[in-house]
Amino acid sequence: MSKPTLLLIDDEERILRSLRMLFMTNYTVRMTTDPQEALRILREEKVHVIISDQRMPVMQGSALLALARETSPATMRILLTGYSDLEASIASVNEGEVFRYLMKPWSADEVRQVVAEATAIAQASYAVQSHAPAVTEDKKPRVLIMDDDEAVSKTVCEILGDRCEVIWANTAQHAMEELARQDISVVVSDLMLGDTNVGYILKTIKQLNPQTQCIVVTNFNDTSRLIDLINQAQISRYLPKPLNKSSLARNLDSMLARFHALRSQPVLANRQAVAQISDPKEKLQSGNFMGMLGRLRARIGV
Amino acid sequence: MRFNDNKNFARDIHSLVNPIAAIAPDKPVSEVAELFLNPDYAKVLSLPVVENGIPIGVISRYRFMDLYLKQYARELHGRRPIRNYINHRPLLVELDQPLTEAALHIAEHMSFPLTEDFIITRHGKYLGLGFVMDLLKAMESQMRANTNELNQAYSQLKSSQMALVQSEKMASLGQMVAGIAHEINTPLGYVQNNVAVGQELFIHIQNLIAGYESLVDNLLDEQADEAEISAQMEQIAAMRLDFNAEEMLGDMQGLMVDSLYGIGQISELVMNLKNFSRMDAAATEAINLNDCIESALNIGRNVLKDKVEIIKELTELPKLTCTPSQLNQVFLNLFTNAAQAMETMGRLHICSWYDEQAVHVSVSDNGKGIPQENLVRIFDPFFTTKPIGEGTGLGLAISHQIIQQHGGEIRVESRLGVGTDFHISLPFAAGNVAQSAQPSIH
Repeated sequence: MSKPTLLLIDDEERILRSLRMLFMTNYTVRMTTDPQEALRILREEKVHVIISDQRMPVMQGSALLALARETSPATMRILLTGYSDLEASIASVNEGEVFRYLMKPWSADEVRQVVAEATAIAQASYAVQSHAPAVTEDKKPRVLIMDDDEAVSKTVCEILGDRCEVIWANTAQHAMEELARQDISVVVSDLMLGDTNVGYILKTIKQLNPQTQCIVVTNFNDTSRLIDLINQAQISRYLPKPLNKSSLARNLDSMLARFHALRSQPVLANRQAVAQISDPKEKLQSGNFMGMLGRLRARIGV
Repeated sequence: MRFNDNKNFARDIHSLVNPIAAIAPDKPVSEVAELFLNPDYAKVLSLPVVENGIPIGVISRYRFMDLYLKQYARELHGRRPIRNYINHRPLLVELDQPLTEAALHIAEHMSFPLTEDFIITRHGKYLGLGFVMDLLKAMESQMRANTNELNQAYSQLKSSQMALVQSEKMASLGQMVAGIAHEINTPLGYVQNNVAVGQELFIHIQNLIAGYESLVDNLLDEQADEAEISAQMEQIAAMRLDFNAEEMLGDMQGLMVDSLYGIGQISELVMNLKNFSRMDAAATEAINLNDCIESALNIGRNVLKDKVEIIKELTELPKLTCTPSQLNQVFLNLFTNAAQAMETMGRLHICSWYDEQAVHVSVSDNGKGIPQENLVRIFDPFFTTKPIGEGTGLGLAISHQIIQQHGGEIRVESRLGVGTDFHISLPFAAGNVAQSAQPSIH
């Protein structure tokens, strides 16, 4: 059996050489400092995982990964960067749709583990990619809004009309109950509900139900929290408040479409598999939430 | 505004109202005379005359006495209505009028000597009398409160200004440290990974050597079992197939070279930080100004590298006594400002030269330029064209201050679309080289 292919892009050759040595035993390693060359390789070869630096002279990593997404959708995308700037991390969610946002310096074991996981997912993606049977929906998709501000819910209602059922939750408790009841297609959530940081809810939901797509809408700008949400909640979009209605509409449409696509090919939902929750407090909250979900689901027979 | 500090203080016209009973215009003069004798009215200068609630005039004690002390006045005027003797143009103040406006109106229309009180009305209807003395007191305490407030505001301003100067220093320091930290992450990334890879390679090599050694031992042992030896040889062959030691060691050799290079990079970055802050050097020192320029360029490299091409024309300079850490800050500020003014990849031209009196440095960019109306305010504290939260507007103000403290001069010229030139000159014989003085804004 041939080895899976790993493509590395960084403007510092020493990074490339170092990573190549880490992976050469188990992977065919292709590497380049030139983003255009990387795109050529993606077009011509079957690449399982791409790891890109963010700050490069010709092209930002998030932009390269956005192009990689079009060129080779099955390839899993990882960003490896020494710079934790907000702009880059937002772009890596919204454009690059990265599987992981990793920081330099990295732990060899962790990177190896992430790449192994990504490789397995890519192999599964390549296997199913060819056929996509159409799915007939039996009921309206449900969209959950988690926000203190009812205006967000109203805006979503205006956008979606009667295509979807829109539920507005302004407390963490209410949101968790809705999430327990049945599959939600898309969650539109602020990071704070009242005084509660709802990151753990998004992270838990994605563990239980990887098909659910999370759009985070917030005016809160904290890069390290965003990076956690990329890795541990695989949020699909990060939109700043005040909301731009047309951008929200566009993203809602594409996330509803993605939810349907994943319903027909559940194996692809693994592309948004999440990393374990790292924060001890959130881990505890997530555990409690899971326990509550179990009890609620048993009671209502979902 | 807070007026509660002073209890005697009148907030508005309300507190000036004295509900003195008004007299009807038909009241006979003799009855008015009795009112003036009433001790309750001892403080009153004049009595209000009101018809159907509307004040139509006042009769002052002064005017009344003038009339009534004349011979036969009681007999002549006593039964006549007071209407015939009043001042028909009393001073009127509306209840909801601001205090200062009312005071101004009264001051303008008051007659001297002061013989009349003013009338306070609500929607034109009589409400009561106001005493001019009370109004004066109210005005005075308002002024005192204003002064207190101004003093308070002034001291608050002073302390927040000091905090801002500090925050500007922290902001540029923070930006710088973040940049350097990020720059360290890249070499740190591969050095750390190379060590991890090397460690694993070590274990492979150890296993391989152990295999070879036991094979050699067996080969030297005359009683060794042939089958065991061939099994060992097969095992080693498999290991060699799995793991090409020679190639791996060759690659690892390369990674060692890379690692040493990376460690060199990290040391250089740390050295740059140390040179820039000069925490371990004397505050005032005789140095070559080119060193400050280089130090600031090293520290700012992270911000500059993708934005500007740097062209240096540095003349070998004689030493100048100055505070290097402060001048480093000035140069870094000028360089990063220039980089921020670039919309696309730009050029930054840095020249240094000297004459008999001074060392000169010019920093020229080909950025978008500064419009004239901003150019005149460029060294003003708090003046910034950056969005709120991105600039304190103190960078150039502090730079200006630092250069002044060195007895020098900083000038700016700019042309829209062409670029901006900063020119700094620092005299050799600076009267007062800034000691460890903190820059502050005046």
